[in-house]
Amino acid sequence: MSNKLSSSVPTDREVVLGILNNSEEALNKLYTGYFPMVLQFILNNNGDEDDAKDVYQEGIIVLYNKIKSGNFELTSKLKTFIYSVCRRIWLKKLSQNSRKTKDVSDFDDIISVEVDLEEHEEKDQRFEKMQSALLNLGEPCKTIIQDFYINNLSMQDICEKFGYTNTDNAKTQKYKCLQRLKKLFFQH
Amino acid sequence: MRNEIELEGIIEDYLNGKLTEAEAQAFEQLRLTDPSVDHKVVAHKVFLESLNDYADVLDLKHQMNQAHAQIDVEGLSKKLGPHPSFIVNLWRKNKAAIAVAASFILLTIVTIYSIQQTTQQTGTYEKLNKEMNSLRSSTNSLIRNVKSTHSVKPNVNPGKFGGTGFALSSNGYILTSHHVIEKSDSVYVQNSKGESYKVKMVYSDPVNDIAILKITDSEFSPLAPLPYSLKRTSSGMGEKVYTLGYPKDDVVFGEGYLSSRTGFNGDSLAYQVAITVNPGNSGGPLLDNRGNIIGIINAKESNSDGAAFAVKSKYIAEALNAIPQDSLVRRIASTKKNQLQGLKLTKQIEKVQDFVFLIKVYK
Repeated sequence: MSNKLSSSVPTDREVVLGILNNSEEALNKLYTGYFPMVLQFILNNNGDEDDAKDVYQEGIIVLYNKIKSGNFELTSKLKTFIYSVCRRIWLKKLSQNSRKTKDVSDFDDIISVEVDLEEHEEKDQRFEKMQSALLNLGEPCKTIIQDFYINNLSMQDICEKFGYTNTDNAKTQKYKCLQRLKKLFFQH
Repeated sequence: MRNEIELEGIIEDYLNGKLTEAEAQAFEQLRLTDPSVDHKVVAHKVFLESLNDYADVLDLKHQMNQAHAQIDVEGLSKKLGPHPSFIVNLWRKNKAAIAVAASFILLTIVTIYSIQQTTQQTGTYEKLNKEMNSLRSSTNSLIRNVKSTHSVKPNVNPGKFGGTGFALSSNGYILTSHHVIEKSDSVYVQNSKGESYKVKMVYSDPVNDIAILKITDSEFSPLAPLPYSLKRTSSGMGEKVYTLGYPKDDVVFGEGYLSSRTGFNGDSLAYQVAITVNPGNSGGPLLDNRGNIIGIINAKESNSDGAAFAVKSKYIAEALNAIPQDSLVRRIASTKKNQLQGLKLTKQIEKVQDFVFLIKVYK
């Protein structure tokens, strides 16, 4: 508002369609387009560049999940949505760290994003659970699981990569890893 | 062990929709009959979804980090971060607020201005002492005639300013408006019979516009007991009131009603009275129809007819306290009973007029 955002900002439609089509370019445009806005907000409200990056990425994840969930309706400008979400996230972080939160300096309009953030928090919790479960899983299990489920390698590839004598061995190993990971994930 | 690995393979394929229709149906049948299998399916579904979300977010973060690397964060920070100057910062932060405040102030000014246009008593406040020289009407000569023929002590120098006053006690204490006798060289009072007496000022209160005079003339014979009394409490709107005064050299009656509990522009010292008064009425008593003095006429609004102002009687009571009490003989009472109560208006006037004086001021 007080400073013109210099980078080119994609249209809202472009962003939504791009994300639905997994377009990397659309995400890049979106990311670079609105980062200055959030950076400005964070810097002027007791934060630094790293805070801005964290908060902004979380905000983009919220938007991303909202669009991906399919029931996304453009009730406000994307800019306003992103700003409101990031603002909410940052204020919450500030209050958690019991840092000063009064006299928020605002640079844009705000809409209510409580519902979106509640959903996001649930997802975020599962993300963190999965992250810590994978971390506690140890090697080589972690890599095997990631290769199979995230990087979509075939059992054959994994068998070769880890030097198993046959795919059945690899399958058995993967099964054991998966059981442990599930146990870690569900026990929390 | 092998069975379980196979079962999980089937569950995964089932969840990923990789089973053929027949296989899927068979598997669903198994789910229905074996709760432990069903439980495994549900748990695995949740797990796979979480894992997928995790992978998605991880991927998204990776992409965002790449995008982030392209941004010149440092440069932006310098441009967008808090400005070292406090003033610039304040301006940046509160730009919106300042704009809102400014427009609010502007709106307020406009509103107040328009309200003033409609509600403020736009007429100027005009004190009702009479500048006799400036009266160009035919009554002017009439005054002179009366004055020269009827005065006990004929004045070589005719009074230049006039007002009204009324007796506070039998022994010659007279109350009038402060502005009537303000800056005067000498003051005379003249009763309804045309007799003049010299007075001196014993008390004046410019704030409440009250002055008390004392007749010092040796010719003066004490008055009868005062017919009216002083009302210390305030009167209500719509109260019928009348006044006697000297807008000309003879006493003039005026009748009206109390139209507001406050005076000019909300002045709480005074009442607003719907009554016709003229220059010369200043200092005249304002009486209700039970013979209580409720105020002193002191001004009117110049633009509108019938809007006069009267100082509230409680300030008379305050002024009275300033006079040594033993010097007041048969002073004005503040009882509710008085001689006028129940009398017809004409009778009341007849009684009151002997206690109302023309104040003649020489400057």
